[in-house]
Amino acid sequence: MAQKQDREAPRTGLDRWNATESRSRGSKGGRAARSGRAKRRRMNPAVRRYVSTLVVTAAVCVACVFCFTPLGERITTGLDIQGGVSVILTASKQDGAAPSADEMNTAKTIVEKRVNTLGASEATVQIQGTNSILVQIPGATDADSAVQTIGQTGHLEFVRLDDIGDAEALAKIGAGASNVTLGQGTYTAFLDGSYIESTSVAQSSTSVGTYAVNISFNPEGADIFARVTRGLAPTKGQICIVLDGVVQSAPAVQEEISGGKVSITGNFTSDQAQELKTVLDSGSLPVTLGYSESRVVGPTLGQDSLNQGILALVIGVAIVIVYLFFFYRGLGLLTLGSLVVFAALYLGLLATLSHYGMFSLSLPGLAGMVLTTGSAADSSILVLERFREEVRMGRTVKNASVSGARHGIMTSLDADIVTLVTALALFFVGTGTVKGFGLTLALGVACDIVTMFGFKAPALRLLAAHVIPSHPGFWGVDQDIAEAERRSQQVHSARGAASPASPAKGGEARA
Amino acid sequence: MRSHFSREISFIGHRRQFLTLSCVLVILSIVGLVLRGLVFGIEFTGGTEVDFYETGGVTIEQMRGALEVADEGTATVQTTTMQGEAGFLVRSDTTDPATANAHAQAAAKSLGLTSDNYTVTTIGPDWGADTTRSSLMAFGVAILLIIAYVSFRYEFKMSITAVAALIHDLVITLGVYAWFQIDISPNVIAALLTIMGYSLYDTVVEFNRMNENAKQLRDGVHRTYFEICNFSINEVIVRTINTTVVTLVPVICMLAIGGATLKDFAFAILVGEVLGTYSSFAVASPLLAIWKTREPKWAKLEARYGSAAKAEAAPAVDAAEKNEPKEG
Repeated sequence: MAQKQDREAPRTGLDRWNATESRSRGSKGGRAARSGRAKRRRMNPAVRRYVSTLVVTAAVCVACVFCFTPLGERITTGLDIQGGVSVILTASKQDGAAPSADEMNTAKTIVEKRVNTLGASEATVQIQGTNSILVQIPGATDADSAVQTIGQTGHLEFVRLDDIGDAEALAKIGAGASNVTLGQGTYTAFLDGSYIESTSVAQSSTSVGTYAVNISFNPEGADIFARVTRGLAPTKGQICIVLDGVVQSAPAVQEEISGGKVSITGNFTSDQAQELKTVLDSGSLPVTLGYSESRVVGPTLGQDSLNQGILALVIGVAIVIVYLFFFYRGLGLLTLGSLVVFAALYLGLLATLSHYGMFSLSLPGLAGMVLTTGSAADSSILVLERFREEVRMGRTVKNASVSGARHGIMTSLDADIVTLVTALALFFVGTGTVKGFGLTLALGVACDIVTMFGFKAPALRLLAAHVIPSHPGFWGVDQDIAEAERRSQQVHSARGAASPASPAKGGEARA
Repeated sequence: MRSHFSREISFIGHRRQFLTLSCVLVILSIVGLVLRGLVFGIEFTGGTEVDFYETGGVTIEQMRGALEVADEGTATVQTTTMQGEAGFLVRSDTTDPATANAHAQAAAKSLGLTSDNYTVTTIGPDWGADTTRSSLMAFGVAILLIIAYVSFRYEFKMSITAVAALIHDLVITLGVYAWFQIDISPNVIAALLTIMGYSLYDTVVEFNRMNENAKQLRDGVHRTYFEICNFSINEVIVRTINTTVVTLVPVICMLAIGGATLKDFAFAILVGEVLGTYSSFAVASPLLAIWKTREPKWAKLEARYGSAAKAEAAPAVDAAEKNEPKEG
C-alpha cells in the first residue's frame, strides 16, 4: 500500500531504480532531471550512438548473410542429417599376430582423437568385427587425405647415428639423402614419442617457407636427451629423428641440449606440419592400420524425418511470432527483429566455422541451437518486461527504455554467463557429441550477448525516443501508461487524505 | 508485471506441497532407475552391422519396411554408394550374431536379395567408456564452475539450491526414461544437456530478482525472505510464462509432427523444460528461502513478521515498521 509509505524513502519500483542510478551513474541520473530543452540537446549524441550501433550491427548481419548463403552448402551438416564418408581401416601387426582387444581399443581411442582434431566434429568411430575400425566422417566426400592422417602409426624415435646397423642406410644418410627408410630391428632408439609433453607448429628457422614441429619432452625425456647430447657434443655426433621408420632429419649435436626442446624439420608445408602435430599429440598406434574400403553413406536420420523436423520448427516459430505480436503488439517487432539479427549472426558464425572444417551440424547440435534460440527470445522478453514494468512504475517511456534495457540485459547476461560456463566446460572437457553440443551452445550465447548490445538495447531506446510515445497503442504500452497514471493519482489522493490504512495482509499488499 | 494478475500468487506458501511432490517424483525416478534400469542404445553397447551390397533399385523406405518386418525396426539405416553401386549400411543393437543373421536373412529375402548381397559383422560401441568418462568429467567441471560463478556473483546458498534443482530435473527425466524403457542415445545425452542449460538459466533469472529484492526491496510489505521470494517469483512470472511458451511451442510441434527419432528427442526436451521451469519456483526458490531464513537476520524478521507473527495483533506490526531500516 503506497499510501502508507514515506514518500521520500526509496522503495520498490521507480524510486529504487532512481536511487541506484543516481548513485552508480551520476551523469545519467542527472540528465533525467534536467529541463526539456537541455534534455533534447543532450539526446542527440545518444540518438546518434544508437543509430551508429544499429548501422554497424546491420552491416555485420549483411556480412553474415553473405557468409551463409546458400545455407545448405555453407553449413556442414553431420552424419545424421547429411551423411558423409564411411571408411573401414583394418588393423594388422608387423609380426603377423592378431591384434588384441586392448590394442584395438587403444587404436580406436587414438583414431577418435585424430578424427576430432581434424575438425570433422562428431565423426563416429566403432570397432568392427575383431580387427577393423569403422570411421564415418560427416560431410567429407574425399576420404583419402583424412585416412592418411588417421591411419599414420605416428611412432617417433630418436636414434644415435652410431646405433644404426644398416650400412646402406648409413651411407644414404651420410650423403644427405632425405627420407631414408630404416629396416625394423636394424637400429635401437634411445628415446621415443611417449616422452612428449607438448608439441607446436612453427616456421622453420633453417629453411624459409617451410614449417617445423617443435617438441617439448617431459622431465624424464629431457634428462635422457640431455645425457645423450652431452655424450655426442664433443664429437659432433648425429642424432636421427625417425618417424614410422623414416629418417626425417639427422642433425649433428653442437652442444648439450638440456631443456628437452627439439624441433623436427623435414621441409614440411604448413598442412603437413599440422598433420604431424595431430599424429604426435594423439600418441602412436599399437597396430598398423591399413585402408580397406570407403563408401559414401547417406544420413542416419533419413530425409523424411529431417523434412518433418524442419516443418515442425517452421510451424513452431510461426506460432511463437503470432503469440509475441498478440502479447506485445508493436514491441513484438523488436523481439522478431532481435531473433532475425541473432539468427543471422549465429548462422554466419557457424558457416565460417564450417568453412574451416570446425563445425558440423547434427541433431544434438540442433538441440543446442534450439536452446540458445530460446534464450535469445527470452532475453528480449526480459528486456521488454522490465521496460514495461518501469513504464508502469511511472517513468517516461524514454527513461524506462534506457534503464529497463540495462536491467533486463544485466539479468539475461547473468543467466547467459552461467550457460556459457556450462557450455565451455562441456566443450573443453567433453568429447564427441558433448563437445559439439558445448560449442553450439557457447556460440549461441555469444551471439545472444552481441545481439543484446548491438540491437535490442539501441533499437528499443531509439524507438522510445519518439516513435513509441506518439503511438502507445500500437506499441502495446498504453495499458502500462494508464496504470502508471492510476498509481500516481492514487498517491495524490492518498496524500490528500493522509489517513493511515489498515495493516497490510498477504496478497493484497501491492503498491 | 504484476498488473497482469490482480493478486500475488502464493508459490512459497505452497512450498510443502511442491517439495513433497518433487520428493515423490525423485523417489519414483530412483526406484525406476534401480528396478528397471536404463536401456542404452547401440552407440553405447555396440551390436551388429549388416552391409547390403548391390541392392539395385531398393529404396530406403523399402529397406526400413523390410527391417521392420524382420524385427529390426530400431536399426539405423544409411544408404551407401561404393563404386557407383547402391547399398545399405544397417546398424542394430542386436548383439547375438545368430539372431542378427536370421533377421538380415529375413529382410534380404523380402527384398528379393540373396545371401551374396549382405554381410553381417559385430560392431563395437561408438560411445565407449572413455567418452562416458570424459562426459561425466565435463559435467562435474561444469557443476563446479557454476557453483563458483553463482557463489561469486550472488551467494553460495543460491549456487547449491540451483544445482539441487538441476539435479532434481535430470534425475526425474532419467526416471521417465527408465520407466518407459526408452533407449538412451547420444541425442538423449544432448537433450539432457539442454535441460541442464535451461534449468540453470531459468533459476538464475529468478535468483537475480530475489538477490536484488533481498538487498533493496523496502516496500514495508514484503519483509521476510519467504515473502521476498514469493514477490520476486511473481515479478518475473510473465517472463516465465512467455519464455516457456516461446521455447516449448517449437518442441511440441516437433513432438506432434516430427519423425520417430525427433519425437524421442523432443519428448526428452519437453519433459526437461517443463521440469526446469517448475523446479525454479517449486524447488530452488523454496529451498533457498528455507535455508536463508535460518540466517540470524532473516530468522529475526521471520519471527517478527512471518506467518506465525501475522496471527498476532495488528498494532505490533505498525510499531515495528518504524524500526525498518530505510535505504539511503
